[in-house]
Amino acid sequence: MSVVTATVAWLTDPAQWSGAGAIPQRLLEHIGLSAVSLLIAVAIALPAGLAIGHTRRGKVVAASLTNIGRAIPSLAVIGIVLPITAAIDPQLGFKVYPTLVAMVILAIPPILVNTEAGIAGVDRDLVESARAMGMRETQVLISVEIPVALSVILAGVRSAATQIVATMTLGAIFGSGGLGRFLVEGIAQNDDGKIFGGVVLVAGLALLTEAAFVTIERAAAWRGREHPGTNRRAAASVPT
Amino acid sequence: MRFSRMLALGASMLVLLSACSTGGGSKPTIKIGSVGFDEARVVAEIYAQALEANGYAVDRAGIGLGNRKVLLPALESGQIDLQPEYVGSGLAYYGGAPEGHADTNKELFADALKAKGLAISILDYTPGEDTNAFVVRKETADQFGISKLSEIGAVQDQLKWAFATDCPTNPLCAAALKAAYDIAPKDVTLLDACSGPMAEALLQKTVDVAELCSTQPEIITNAWVILDDDRATQPADSIVPLVRDDLLAKVDKAAFSKILNDISEKIDTPTLGQLYYDVAVGKKDIKDVASAWLKANGFVK
Repeated sequence: MSVVTATVAWLTDPAQWSGAGAIPQRLLEHIGLSAVSLLIAVAIALPAGLAIGHTRRGKVVAASLTNIGRAIPSLAVIGIVLPITAAIDPQLGFKVYPTLVAMVILAIPPILVNTEAGIAGVDRDLVESARAMGMRETQVLISVEIPVALSVILAGVRSAATQIVATMTLGAIFGSGGLGRFLVEGIAQNDDGKIFGGVVLVAGLALLTEAAFVTIERAAAWRGREHPGTNRRAAASVPT
Repeated sequence: MRFSRMLALGASMLVLLSACSTGGGSKPTIKIGSVGFDEARVVAEIYAQALEANGYAVDRAGIGLGNRKVLLPALESGQIDLQPEYVGSGLAYYGGAPEGHADTNKELFADALKAKGLAISILDYTPGEDTNAFVVRKETADQFGISKLSEIGAVQDQLKWAFATDCPTNPLCAAALKAAYDIAPKDVTLLDACSGPMAEALLQKTVDVAELCSTQPEIITNAWVILDDDRATQPADSIVPLVRDDLLAKVDKAAFSKILNDISEKIDTPTLGQLYYDVAVGKKDIKDVASAWLKANGFVK
């Protein structure tokens, strides 16, 4: 049986779609853990990026931390963090937290870099005229800089999201849930259908994530263009 | 005059010919492989250093290559020439039914290889054995009053289990547990066989029963309890060197086999445990552990 037929057979087998450890469960685990990782990364990197981009201070520190974060292999992070978090919580600390930490570390650099560059790259004339109009610094940030930089910032979040979805598979090596389980188990059990079925699912999910964020970005850009004068309202209603 | 010339020619030809045959060409490079866990890697490293001490060149890229499902195809296809294999589990991989004696298993294994048309030979087995062990923490054993696998079936769903990732399709694991002990628990985590994370999961109470290697040092350092395989599902898993016949054809078969057989003779179960301990818990490099053992046992200077 060729790999292609084995993969199609595995994906279309009803047994793979119901029961414990089946595709729906793993998909939900994967999406859930990816979403939580992304939210945490955004919560950390977005404010930092906004502050550094707006005040133009701390760029070097941010750049260094970003480079370090990019250089650390996620697999190593999971392996190092596992004994620490497992001692804190035997269940989540073993199967969830190590992968979560690794994915957050993975996602921070693109969000931080794009946010900082986007904000700092806003036309200085716009910023100066806003200040001249009497806006306070926070108002300048919220009403001028963020709306203008929004598509760049969202592109950073999109990049982070896609990387998380694709790399989350590593967690399965250490017992975490998610679609990576099909890769790990398929390799150990010599089941090509399972391995490549898992590959198709992960790649499909990553592409879907990419497409979803592109849609969000387009919507945000459209709103910004349509209502240039009412930046305040648009900025307040566009989700960051 | 002509006669002595012929004599001189003949003599020099003889010298030349004998020089060629005793030179025998250079010794071939031997590609050694092993599965990923520490015990297998250090035994493979011991083979490697012993062969090097006897003038062979060794390619170690295959050490720790992957699990059995990766390694045996590599041996079959010639990507590696030599690996230490567990005689019972290796036999089961090729569809055989291992038993409790290493002798029988070795014969059955050789038959199974021949039946598949594989030109692979099996050398002598070690007295030391390393079997799959199902292990619990001491407090779990005390709490449920269990010391044997036949006793755990009744409480299996009150416990969290961890098996090796290939357990579902390994006849010596899932199938054997179900058939002999009616063990097929619901809460199962799959982790790498005989690995650090497997031991970590048991240590941190993420799971209550873990599948480890019987010589894995964490069992001793944490005073864990190996559940007795009272219905003898796990085979006598001594270590045997598997060698490709085409490699044996290129070397002096008797001398080559002697090197490995002499080493195997000295590897008993406590030795396996100690080697495993030094790498897994002592965190020593397999090269240092292997060379120390070879020196201590007089195989190298």
